[in-house]
Amino acid sequence: MAEHRAARNTRRIRRRELLAGGALLGTGALLASQIKLGEVLGLIRRAEARELRPGDYDLANPENILYSVCQQCNTQCGIKAKLRDGVVVKLDGNPFNPWNLDPHLPYRTSPFATAAVDGRLCPKGQASIQMAYDPYRIVKVLKRAGKRGENKWMTIPFEQAITEIVEGGYLFRHVPGEEHRRVEGLKEIWALRDPKLAAAMAADVAAIWARKTPAEKRQAVEEFKVKYRDHLNVLIDPDHPDLGPKNNQLFFLWGRLKGGRGELIRRFTTDAFGSVNAHGHTTVCQGSLYFTGKAMSEQYRDGKWTGGRKFFWQADQESAEFIIFVGVNPFEASQGPTNRAQRIAHRVREGRLKYVVIDPILNRAAGTMAWKWLPNIPGTEAAVALALVRWIIDNRRYDERYLRNANRAAAASDGEPTWTNAAWLVKVDRDGVPGKFLRASEVGIAAREVRPRSDGKGTYEFDPFVVSVDGRLVPFDPYDARNPVEGDLLVTTEVAGIKVKSAFQILADQARARTMSQWARLAGLQVKDLVEVAREFTSHGKKAAVDIHRGVSQHTNGLYNCTAWYALPLLIGSFDWKGGMVPGSTYDAGGGRPGQPFALGRLHPGRTTAFGISIIRHDVNYEDTTLFHGYPAKRPWYPLASDIYQEAIPSAGDAYPYPIKALFIYMGTPVYANPAGHTNIPILADPTKIPLVVANDIIIGETSMYADYIFPDCTYLERWEFAGTQFSMPWKVQPVRQPVIAPLTETVRVFGQEMPATLEAMLLALAEKLGLPGFGKDGFGPGQDFLRAEDLYLRMVANVAAGERADGSDAVPDADDREVELFVKSRRHLPPTVFDPDRWASVVGARWWRKVVYVLNRGGRFEDYERAYEGEQLRNKYGTLINLYQEKTATTRSAITGRPFLGVANYTPAPRDLLDRPVADKGYDLRLLTHRVVFHTKSRTISNYWLLNILPEGEFLMSSRDAKRLGFKNGDRVKVISAANPEGVWDLQHGRKKPMVGTLKVIEGIRPGIVSFSLGHGHWAYGSQDVVIDGRTIRGDPRRAKGLHANAAMRTDPVLPNTCLADPVGASAVFYDTQVRLVRI
Amino acid sequence: MVIDGQKCVGCQSCVVACTAENVLPPGVSYRSVPEVEVGTYPNVKRYPMPTQCMQCDKPPCVPAANAIAPGSFSKRPDGIVAIDYTRFRGRTAYEAAAKACPYRALYFDDGKFYTQPTPAFQPYEEAVSHDYGRRWVRERGRRDDPPAGGGRKCHFCLHRLNAGMVPACVSTCIGRAVYFGDKNDPQSLVNEVLTKKADKVLRIRANRGTEPRVYYLCDDVQLSTSVHT
Repeated sequence: MAEHRAARNTRRIRRRELLAGGALLGTGALLASQIKLGEVLGLIRRAEARELRPGDYDLANPENILYSVCQQCNTQCGIKAKLRDGVVVKLDGNPFNPWNLDPHLPYRTSPFATAAVDGRLCPKGQASIQMAYDPYRIVKVLKRAGKRGENKWMTIPFEQAITEIVEGGYLFRHVPGEEHRRVEGLKEIWALRDPKLAAAMAADVAAIWARKTPAEKRQAVEEFKVKYRDHLNVLIDPDHPDLGPKNNQLFFLWGRLKGGRGELIRRFTTDAFGSVNAHGHTTVCQGSLYFTGKAMSEQYRDGKWTGGRKFFWQADQESAEFIIFVGVNPFEASQGPTNRAQRIAHRVREGRLKYVVIDPILNRAAGTMAWKWLPNIPGTEAAVALALVRWIIDNRRYDERYLRNANRAAAASDGEPTWTNAAWLVKVDRDGVPGKFLRASEVGIAAREVRPRSDGKGTYEFDPFVVSVDGRLVPFDPYDARNPVEGDLLVTTEVAGIKVKSAFQILADQARARTMSQWARLAGLQVKDLVEVAREFTSHGKKAAVDIHRGVSQHTNGLYNCTAWYALPLLIGSFDWKGGMVPGSTYDAGGGRPGQPFALGRLHPGRTTAFGISIIRHDVNYEDTTLFHGYPAKRPWYPLASDIYQEAIPSAGDAYPYPIKALFIYMGTPVYANPAGHTNIPILADPTKIPLVVANDIIIGETSMYADYIFPDCTYLERWEFAGTQFSMPWKVQPVRQPVIAPLTETVRVFGQEMPATLEAMLLALAEKLGLPGFGKDGFGPGQDFLRAEDLYLRMVANVAAGERADGSDAVPDADDREVELFVKSRRHLPPTVFDPDRWASVVGARWWRKVVYVLNRGGRFEDYERAYEGEQLRNKYGTLINLYQEKTATTRSAITGRPFLGVANYTPAPRDLLDRPVADKGYDLRLLTHRVVFHTKSRTISNYWLLNILPEGEFLMSSRDAKRLGFKNGDRVKVISAANPEGVWDLQHGRKKPMVGTLKVIEGIRPGIVSFSLGHGHWAYGSQDVVIDGRTIRGDPRRAKGLHANAAMRTDPVLPNTCLADPVGASAVFYDTQVRLVRI
Repeated sequence: MVIDGQKCVGCQSCVVACTAENVLPPGVSYRSVPEVEVGTYPNVKRYPMPTQCMQCDKPPCVPAANAIAPGSFSKRPDGIVAIDYTRFRGRTAYEAAAKACPYRALYFDDGKFYTQPTPAFQPYEEAVSHDYGRRWVRERGRRDDPPAGGGRKCHFCLHRLNAGMVPACVSTCIGRAVYFGDKNDPQSLVNEVLTKKADKVLRIRANRGTEPRVYYLCDDVQLSTSVHT
């Protein structure tokens, strides 16, 4: 009987396989490497009535388990994937990985012993199976058969797509209106190919920027044009050589990207192709928070502020006694939930930790076990911080000893791992605005010294900084390790005609600009609560921390808000202390550390130098470039930021500072993700704006639907990456993502190698066709080929395995024979296109192979639990100067107003436009917010039906008081409209409009005056709509179309109507400063 | 099982883990975590309440089910209330048992699949499940083959217990809110927790006399009782 059933089912599958198509997973044959249905049914024959014996639970058999890293959100928790016949059927947490188990297992534990130990994992991680086995996944290359965004596609061979993109031509003759449109291929855009010439030009462009006056710059440009007269054709504009070469007109934009793929994209785009335009999405995440971290970590080197790290601090929830969470959702988001809830919940329950949530919405952390929930008015986050700062300074509850330390020696003598510039004297102008630090030569107390540069290229002049001690000025070197210098904290004085204040005084002035009552009223909170929080924060020694995220940073005053909040842990000096502020720490995978075998930076023959202003105009001062013509500039410039997502497509649309010819988008959906992302649609849909758009995606998504080509990619369960860390985790780690299941995309041939269609295959194939240096035979160097993805990633695993000491004492052990056997056996289901143990061993060599196996058998490398701390401090420290006052910020100007930014914590009202004018939309009385729920992430969890069970259409929250006042009730269907979008629709082009309609959920747990929608629903692609492929309609799944996505209501900037509001300093895209009205429908 | 409501963060990982572990179809969810909001702005709290079959010592579902489908329900020596899928067939038997259960623990499997209404059915939906120590495969088009066409409920992941592991909901709980073990064993964690916090223990609808084997810890027993009911 069972046999018949098996046979019948097998025949049914074969019939389905005969259907034409094959572009989507669902319309064609399931690949042979997937589960063989007959084998599954055969199990029934064997086992129907038999009781299971303990050994029968095959999911606890180590040969059926692989460790990797989740990517259902950006927390990048470990996963333990359990397989049956090559199909992943269950995911749990990786017990080796501190994200999933607290305390995590010792690294040397055998993977044979961990088979029955499941770590923890959030619901999204548990649902990953549905992300991978998604019927709407693309498995073949799609080329548009109609206009951009018409949702008409045809499958084409991979090789044909590569050829068309490289060669260019009349690629869209089949589309009415595009018969005569010739597309420039990559080979034409790759204009400058000589690395020596590129390096010389780059240096000369830097020299143009170094000239002081516009006249001197013009002169330098003329000299440049003469020097390079035979090569002017490689430049975008010879009159503006600082725009760089035409190569810059290739733009690679990504959404969610981690290490490994990051190295590959930069290698291709920048080091080989020579374009500066490889940018990510940071500003829609928590941009201004990252760039606050960068500003606070700038170090004074070779006469400049430089080396600021793109990072931020989070709370050590493993050991803190008191945490202030602001605009953070640690149980649902904020690089939680699994790693954070696991540590916070039980410590709160045991009375070892107390926390406050300051957020307008009662998120799960606020509602379940918070000591206090303080729902502030959005945009007033700095006001709340400054109230606390004021109370702490007025009541002298700051760590004076810590703050007085002006240099390294002073900190060391107090046993402090960090020090600040709190005592340093800052020059203040006539209007009381602080600017640059005072220098010794300005007040004649010491001379400038000539010192060698740290890069060995010459000398620079060091002019000591100055503090005041009992009225006496003292010069010092911030990094002097021998002579401790301390300074008074509250200093206001005048010297040699120069007004000066200490940085701490400047902070105190900001905090004292209002009384506690005034701050409280501004923020919509009670003084009593603020005082209790400030008292509690200063009652736990160093075991108190501040943890902030998008609720603080994604406003027009974002960077200032973040700076204000970080002033608090500076006041108690809890950086690098157990229970305080953690910077995060990773094992380097790039090979730049001593003892590591593969230094990727050096493994690039023919590597070139990219140069020029980027399309997002970052990391350079407008005034330094040849484009400077006074204020306002055409669009904002962002010298202090990078990865400015909201600028990407609108800048290309405005061709400012130059047009883009080819845009590649990887795992990103700026249309869905950006506030006012709908403004990106008309730009993308118009082939004259960006002539070539190529997406690399697993699905036809809300942005990739507007591409010319979509290349299929593999999901996180099928591929590699190096996930890095999160800033609340004190252990040094490097989680490694590796193939767990056979790839579901088609197999293609690149460099003579068979491999699945992935991002790697696409880039390698383009490199092959172009002949890009650093790829293919001898791509890494003589005898070191780069033909396949693993050629890069295995080398990186070897770097991680090696650790960071030249003597090799930091290397992991060799895997023994049993572990090597397990390694191979547990990958028996993987096809040779992704797994070949002999080939893998030859990539890294015999010396490193068993160490690579050791790391991969554990899903990465994780420092042991007891290594988190050294006594009462973190082992992995930040360990240097932290800027309480940011001189670099204070000497940077807005390219729109021409006014300098502020280098100190301050309250600047929000929202303001780029001209610094308040944005006031009369008649729109509700503040629109968006929030995360633990069940969803961005655009990509809509395919997870198990998660849709929990929240089928998202939630759209309104306060019961507003409902009463406005006459709404629970369940009402309403449309969201704003001044920027009075029609309340997404205009998807081609006559399709999607109204922003949601179902109200009336609750108590939200500040009145605010409505908020959860992110992840309201789709119009991603399998929710019908698409046509090769003439066949693939029906969308209406379960995916539900809910509200109201980003298109979010405020555009009155100065820049094709772009959302943004923070002019830290570049955050603004999600939380829009006023809306709801219309019942 | 002991559930510390104070540590539950309402993430529902237990729900999804259970669904994946037991290959549950649409309409069947052995575990659920309803959430209640209590209070008035700004004094508001959220109470997530994980719930599933309580494996009662006096299970009302057993006589109710067996009256319609003899021998379909039984109370095992280890405490789990077991369903024989080959005997517990059809809506009538299901509705009788479901009506008797005060905890809404029973669900009807009517043979659906998540990816059936899409362009391609996916292989993980026909993976083997192990309810009550046997192997089951649900196939498309076979809505009357057990477990489809009958009622289902939580069984404390008996197949994992047999392998020396805790239920899927327990191991994945990110709030560390769920304890599991042998209450009679004086060394067990559940015993320790129930003893130490005896004044904070409650069982849901204990007044129905079902003797549930799932205990809840809450600081405010009175509040939690009213929330549960």
